[in-house]
Amino acid sequence: MDHLSKLRRRARLYLFGILIAENLLAVGLGWSLYTFVHLNGLISVAVSLLLGMVLTFIVADQASRYLMEPLTALWQAILHLSPTEQGVAAPKIENLRFGRELVANLSSQIYQLASVADRAAADANKEVGDMGHNFIAQNLPLPLVLLDDTETIKFANKAAADYIGLTPADLIGKNVYMVLDMSFPSADTFDSWLKTAKTASVTATKSWERVRLNVRDNHPARLFDLAAYYNHGNPDGNATMLVLFDHTKQYSQDEQAVSFIALSVHELRTPLTLLRGYIEVFEDEFGKSITDPELQSFMLKMRAMAEQLTDFVNNILNVARIDDDQLELQLQSGDWATILKSSIDLMSLRAKVRGIDLQCKIPDDLPPVGVDQLSINEVVSNIIDNAIKYSGKSKVINIDAHLTQDGMIETTVQDYGLGIPTSILPNLFTKFYRDHRNRAQIGGTGLGLYLSKAIIDAHGGHLWVRSKENEGSTFGFTLMPYAQLTETMKQGGNQEITRSAHGWIKNHSLYRR
Amino acid sequence: MSDSDAPATPAAAQPAAGRKVLCIEDERFISELYVRVLSKSGYQVDAIADGKQALEAAETNQYDIILLDLMLPGLSGIDILRSLKDPARQPPLKAKVIVTTNLEQREDVRADIEKQADGYVVKAELTPHELARMLDDIA
Repeated sequence: MDHLSKLRRRARLYLFGILIAENLLAVGLGWSLYTFVHLNGLISVAVSLLLGMVLTFIVADQASRYLMEPLTALWQAILHLSPTEQGVAAPKIENLRFGRELVANLSSQIYQLASVADRAAADANKEVGDMGHNFIAQNLPLPLVLLDDTETIKFANKAAADYIGLTPADLIGKNVYMVLDMSFPSADTFDSWLKTAKTASVTATKSWERVRLNVRDNHPARLFDLAAYYNHGNPDGNATMLVLFDHTKQYSQDEQAVSFIALSVHELRTPLTLLRGYIEVFEDEFGKSITDPELQSFMLKMRAMAEQLTDFVNNILNVARIDDDQLELQLQSGDWATILKSSIDLMSLRAKVRGIDLQCKIPDDLPPVGVDQLSINEVVSNIIDNAIKYSGKSKVINIDAHLTQDGMIETTVQDYGLGIPTSILPNLFTKFYRDHRNRAQIGGTGLGLYLSKAIIDAHGGHLWVRSKENEGSTFGFTLMPYAQLTETMKQGGNQEITRSAHGWIKNHSLYRR
Repeated sequence: MSDSDAPATPAAAQPAAGRKVLCIEDERFISELYVRVLSKSGYQVDAIADGKQALEAAETNQYDIILLDLMLPGLSGIDILRSLKDPARQPPLKAKVIVTTNLEQREDVRADIEKQADGYVVKAELTPHELARMLDDIA
């Protein structure tokens, strides 16, 4: 208000001055004309009035410009802020000759009001945006979980809470690993990915299949695909986003196919455990008192057959695993002579009860091989078992190991029995294949060779057969020296290497303790 | 079920002498067999078939070794394992827990169990004597 009255006083002063000056000028001019030029009084008045009018117009024009300056500046300031008027420059207040203080004051108020209005509008917009995001996040028909930098749950939508079986309040603020008890099909887990992402990436995305959520209180586990997004330094603190895609029904159907086998295997194993246990107790406690050699041999045969059945049960299981791509091998460096001899030892009883002599020629100076001991033992068992079954009247099986010209370690098992007709040789490694002419005489699973081939393939080796009917068969397989295997994997160090039956997987040294 | 005469047998000279084993197993024939063979090897063996009772017994912390089946009535072996190996347990469990099962697990499930247990054994894969020898090797 102060500025305004000051300005009014100044305007009054200026106008007063101008009017007085002009009046004086007009009166002076009329009087001069009348006195010095001796013009007619009337004419003098008329001339001075005319000149006075011209002068007044010029002065009024100038004065109005001068007085309008503040208003013009304010108008410019408002236009400058108006979103519809593009390109209007801000007024140059410091150049104002009249009312500078008032204009400076008023325009600063205009700018203030404008920024308040802007902020309000932006807030309103943001609110609309947040509400939109919230709506999407909250009602997304997929479980969505947001984590902060410390893996604490910041947000979980309704779907997530329902899926996990807790309320959102129970989830928020909890560490994700405490609430989401997830198992991954391999060592490539969410937490290992997140650790890497945090140290190495600004943003990262990743998805997993067949993740299992272990739900408490005997609820069946849930199976889902998981997608994760990580971004470093998110302004809202949402470092990681998880989305779960439920596939429980589909995946558990797949699992049930396996679990039927798992169930059968369990049912077979329980009586097997007992049979093997009782046989051992009997041999242990009555073995010495049995003098009848026939009874003694019955005892041995019983044990041999129980062992054979145990191996068969494992064959079933492993074939199911191969078909389901679940067989994983841990390839480690090992001394082949030692491993092979211990595998042969396990077969010695079965050979013995059939009166067969296992003759071994295994040099001790072979380079270390890269093998999964349990699986390779199954290969050796199956091949020897096969040789025993098809030995016929022949009583010798030759087992031989040597280094081939291209540096592989080759093991051969040769029998002198029935041999395999040329016509069926190509199908020998197919699942369930068996020479049906012999079905009546010789038991066989047809699974053993299929399994052996898959395991040898997974080792990076080669399984082959040479046979002539009525002269016998030779089965051979090659294994890579460990040094060559690590070279193939392009990695050094004494690490475990994991392979599936269908090819390389990855270095897997952390998987087992 | 314990065999207090253990020192009289030659097996007593072995690492088994007097060590206490809890056999949690619901198949009676199997627990019978294990009790017999392990006792002869010098172990003192108790066998319990029910999961809840077995957990209570294990919590007395008097055992050196616990053989734990997974499929049990009352409380599953996995739950027992989780509870016994809970890092918050005070005092921590003295016993080594060997999971003994004939159930075939997926690799990942098995790996999970192996992480918590001190051993994992498929019963059909080893005879009672082999089991006893394995326990002898457990420090």
